[in-house]
Amino acid sequence: MLALLVTAVIFDPAPAAVAGQPSTTVSPDVRNVYLADCGVCHGSDGRGTGRGPPLVGVGRASLDYELSSGRMPLAGVGRADDRPGTPLQPLPNKAASDPEMVPRRHAPAYPPELISQLVDHVWTLTGGGGPDIPHIGEGNLAEGGALFRLQCAACHSWAGDGGALVRIESPALHSATEVQIAEAIRVGPGQMPAFGTAALTDEQLAGVVAYVRYLDRPDDRGGEPLWHLGPFAEGALALVAVAGLLLFVRWIGERG
Amino acid sequence: MSGRHETTSAGEARQDERRAERQITALFLLSSASAIALAIVYMRGGQPQLEGLFLGIALGGVACGLVIWGNRLLPQGPFVDDRHELASPAAEVEAAEEGLKQEGAVTRRKLVGRSLGLAVGGLGLAALFPIRSLGPSPGQALARTPWRSGLRLITEDGRPVRADDVPREGLVTVFPEGHPGSADGQAVLIRLTPGLLVAKPGREDWTPQDIVAYSKICTHAGCPVGLYEATSHLLLCPCHQSTFDVLRHAKPEIGPAAAPLPQLPLRIDPEGFLVAQGDFSEPVGPSFWHRQ
Repeated sequence: MLALLVTAVIFDPAPAAVAGQPSTTVSPDVRNVYLADCGVCHGSDGRGTGRGPPLVGVGRASLDYELSSGRMPLAGVGRADDRPGTPLQPLPNKAASDPEMVPRRHAPAYPPELISQLVDHVWTLTGGGGPDIPHIGEGNLAEGGALFRLQCAACHSWAGDGGALVRIESPALHSATEVQIAEAIRVGPGQMPAFGTAALTDEQLAGVVAYVRYLDRPDDRGGEPLWHLGPFAEGALALVAVAGLLLFVRWIGERG
Repeated sequence: MSGRHETTSAGEARQDERRAERQITALFLLSSASAIALAIVYMRGGQPQLEGLFLGIALGGVACGLVIWGNRLLPQGPFVDDRHELASPAAEVEAAEEGLKQEGAVTRRKLVGRSLGLAVGGLGLAALFPIRSLGPSPGQALARTPWRSGLRLITEDGRPVRADDVPREGLVTVFPEGHPGSADGQAVLIRLTPGLLVAKPGREDWTPQDIVAYSKICTHAGCPVGLYEATSHLLLCPCHQSTFDVLRHAKPEIGPAAAPLPQLPLRIDPEGFLVAQGDFSEPVGPSFWHRQ
């Protein structure tokens, strides 16, 4: 419990890099961080190696999403064990890439300014392109809800709590920042498909983001939400209710 | 637990029974009225909540009436029956016949019995109406969807889908132009990473720019197949985990579905919009008796 609280405290001010001005000068610090932590797998020029995919054309949205949600850097630059939500623990001897290693949400490895500089650096290094960090405008919550149920709920569940896929699970959405949600929709990190402007306009994107935020504290009109545990918990409660009904039926049939 | 009241005199007992009879009759009449209301609502096109309410009242009325009948009017046990002569003494027979002639057990229950008949008859009558709904035969309606050659692919809010607006491993739920929200026409559109698709013979020109479209209705139980794993290229149905291989004409890999998802032949028109070349490759949805 204490660990959870600590995690939450570390986690709360998750950084949202500002879609920003192209950096004209790359500070040596940023270049060193890239070469030390990213270049190991993605190559010193960002064109990929046998250990990691190329970063060419992935866009700033993708770079910012992976860094700010702590999914990157991966275990190669040191993580004692893969405990989601915890800060990185340096362990240089860890294998660089493990096929079983799935990027998971952690506390970001770098402060927000450094993430923003890294994003700009990698983006310039690989020649630009790709989706930019989305600007989230005003969205229609009701429309966002309809779109969420149509396009997101199949994997992330109706309550945004995540769910099972074939070999991995899709994550819960409550700890993602608004910018991260929008970036993930446009980019499609990992197993997630990308949703381009054909699937969602920018206004609809803002609506979906607003709805995901709403799901953190939904207004449960159906009555007791049973901790949003979903159909399984509701089914268990129904069984208890059926047992009660059986007692009632017994009372009806009782005589004397 | 007994619903029976201890009464001090026969008069009070009689009054008590009368009250119970009135309650039972009222419940049975309420039930038959509700059954008739159910039939009327069904005939006028139906409204699920109202129909459920009326059916609930109709069945519940009969049930409550029978429970009160059982608890208040029928004799309550336990009974001790001593062994005795099989034939009743003549005086007893006479007394019983006399009792039957007077206002007694049989005549008193007539009203209650008839109202029960009315309630059950009303429900039976209401159950006849859905028989009409079995027809007419669906004909070719199950085999066809609104897709025609030249129809553009649109989103649920009616925007036509431009091929360039679908990113790599991007997913869009599409409908036939003019039929936004069409239940049988909905399809899931995916732009695959180039070079991965293994086209089925005869379908080589159905997938411009590696964009594929399959019916979104699961061939098992008709759920929307909405889960797409972008790196393993599997489409999953959230209901029963049927898993389809997007790279190989959506043939089922795991799970209860036996048939592949029907594929929609695509092309790109000169303005860059995605257009259907015709209807799906097979009838959509769960397999049915004479599906080809």
